[in-house]
Amino acid sequence: MSAGLLETVASQPAPAPAPEASGALETQRARFEWLLGLADDRLILGHRLSEWCGHAPILEEELALANIALDLIGQAQMLFELAAETEGAGRSADALAFLRDSRDFRNMLLVEQPNGDFAFTIVRQFLFDAWDLPQLEALCASRYKDLAGFAAKACKEARYHLRHSHGWLLRLGGGTQESNRRTQAALDELWRFTPELFLTPVLPSMSSTSDASEAHFQETVRAALSEADLTLPDAAPFPALRGRAGLHSEHLGHLLAEMQVLQRSYPGAKW
Amino acid sequence: MDAVESPERRAAFEARIAAGEVIEPKDWMPEGYRRQLLRMMSQHAHSEVVGMLPEGNWITRAPTLRRKIGLLAKVQDEAGHGLYLYCAAESLGVSRDEMLDALHDGAARYASIFNYPTLSWADIGAIGWLVDGAAVVNQTLLAKCSFGPYARAMLRICREENFHRRQGYEIVATLARGTAAQRAMVQDAVNRWWWPTLMMFGPPDAESANSEALMRWRVKRQSNDAQRQWFINLTVPQANAIGIELPDPELEFDAESGNWKSGAVDWDEFRRVLRGDGPCNHERMAARRRAHEEGRWVRQAAQAFEARRRTRAPREISTTPRREPAHV
Amino acid sequence: MNAAGTRSRAIAKLRTVMDPELPMLNIVELGLLREVEVEEDGLHITLTPTYSGCPAIETIVAETRRVLADLGPVSLRIAHAPPWTTDWITEDARRKLRAAGIAPPAGRVAQPEAVRCPRCDATASEQVSAFGSTACKSLWRCANCDEPFELLKLI
Repeated sequence: MSAGLLETVASQPAPAPAPEASGALETQRARFEWLLGLADDRLILGHRLSEWCGHAPILEEELALANIALDLIGQAQMLFELAAETEGAGRSADALAFLRDSRDFRNMLLVEQPNGDFAFTIVRQFLFDAWDLPQLEALCASRYKDLAGFAAKACKEARYHLRHSHGWLLRLGGGTQESNRRTQAALDELWRFTPELFLTPVLPSMSSTSDASEAHFQETVRAALSEADLTLPDAAPFPALRGRAGLHSEHLGHLLAEMQVLQRSYPGAKW
Repeated sequence: MDAVESPERRAAFEARIAAGEVIEPKDWMPEGYRRQLLRMMSQHAHSEVVGMLPEGNWITRAPTLRRKIGLLAKVQDEAGHGLYLYCAAESLGVSRDEMLDALHDGAARYASIFNYPTLSWADIGAIGWLVDGAAVVNQTLLAKCSFGPYARAMLRICREENFHRRQGYEIVATLARGTAAQRAMVQDAVNRWWWPTLMMFGPPDAESANSEALMRWRVKRQSNDAQRQWFINLTVPQANAIGIELPDPELEFDAESGNWKSGAVDWDEFRRVLRGDGPCNHERMAARRRAHEEGRWVRQAAQAFEARRRTRAPREISTTPRREPAHV
Repeated sequence: MNAAGTRSRAIAKLRTVMDPELPMLNIVELGLLREVEVEEDGLHITLTPTYSGCPAIETIVAETRRVLADLGPVSLRIAHAPPWTTDWITEDARRKLRAAGIAPPAGRVAQPEAVRCPRCDATASEQVSAFGSTACKSLWRCANCDEPFELLKLI
């Protein structure tokens, strides 16, 4: 069986190199930063989820949150490698994660918000997952083969993630009065970070996503909130800060100080 | 299960054990056997869960992506082992909630080793290498114990623990050939974790309260001291191979027995930690109780949701002004 | 030795590389080994990790290099596309999983009812947790014999 299997996959074409000439306006720098944004979202959100370790409300959630964090950080590592390759400056994935300052991080503000209570973490995760899954599905068709390969893998994981956060949104929204109140409060607090999800223009070389993704997101969210007895907050204003441009909330600096402490304290050491 | 004990039943049970048979949850067993298994399995489950705290302490500070992924996966494993063990222990007729209440009340124990703090990154390596290494010795034996669910749980858990041990040793070995600061860091970690690890096997045979019955019932297959010696013999060459010194000036090889003879363990320290006066007992229990308390509303919400889903009753929260649900 | 001979020797050796978290399975039967090609400059091996955050891949790569050491130069590539799927687990491996107390993933149309207890074969089981001790597993409990068991998740 396996020998046959090997024969069939041996004919898989090797991944194509990153596109060089797609879009004259698109610089290598822009591609690098776009990939970094994708990677940083995952690293920072994975970091936040990992802070729950040992403190989750139920053992099953210890497993789920750690598992999702693990997926996200694994995805970030793959994307950092693509970003490093695109940059071509010899920086490693670890250098990108551990040796940049907050102004150079490109993650969106949503993912760096502190965990709050479990409802806050679930709403933050649901908003991210509802945005991320269609994005990854679109990236599966990217002309940049390595990115398409990444997305194909990440998609499978993102489906589990969305099922998890969506499931909890329904449970918390439709559970008790307290859980509904907490979840609505989290939603009201986090909603202002959602416009940023759709501000970053898609690079033609990276994805075929269009404006339809925002409509898709709105529809997923609207349907889930209605099922969960939660109220869609009023449209949020244009964000005053933009993580994709390196303008973060004050939270990120603290997160990075913790995450980067060993690399900063022992320059050049191997771990 | 019919709990009535009679001399005949007891004799039949002892005969099954003596014949090397495996006892399953629905088989008759003496109350003493059931209680011992429940004690060991729930204590083991609690240890997995409390053990997430000292290691979880370094996930957000792990030095590279690869190390972060390794540690996060390891801690996830531990939560999985905890859950698996609670499920297996429930086959003895006690619910997970009851076991957790016993932990939070202080009635149930967890492994004392987790009452020590993780002070540097090297502690993560030391825990993997030494603590998980000790656990593998203990669990390899428990995998042959007479109670089927526990034996099978140990077999499964051991597979993953072995992987943890290798990863831990690899962290220690990497630091041991690193910079001077890293070498000092890893030696310090081993100095702090060595003796508490030896205590994991329990008090010396002469003082071990539960040993005799457990050996007879084939729950425990080797004495505390024998397991401790096995672990020392395994570990000394591993330490030597990477230039790590074990903090025991009396450690020497005894050619006659083939054993590495160690110095005396400080059993006063062991008893202090067991009593609750170890370096982190207070913090560990406080963290577990807090997580449990702060998670109560989440569990209630999940239960209420599940109950409503099953009965397909109309939701109680859909109207404004909102009413208090009856059970809050 | 000719290329075909080298290739089959390499595959035989790769069958000794076990997955650290499912040590009853080697990387060939688990479907992690995707390509073995014999080129003029040596062996070209392609591996695919199960999950993005799979902590075992480092160990597998090191072990792969070790077992192939005496077959000349090896170039090793980690491919994420096409993504690993449980469909690649061989029939033989599924039997080994079951024997080790882990339920293999059910077919493409997996229904919870179809999850069979690897111990007593009963199909009445309930999911305890959608996430298990490793990314690839979920935890179930058999309603017949009370045995908790892990199921390799369908992906």
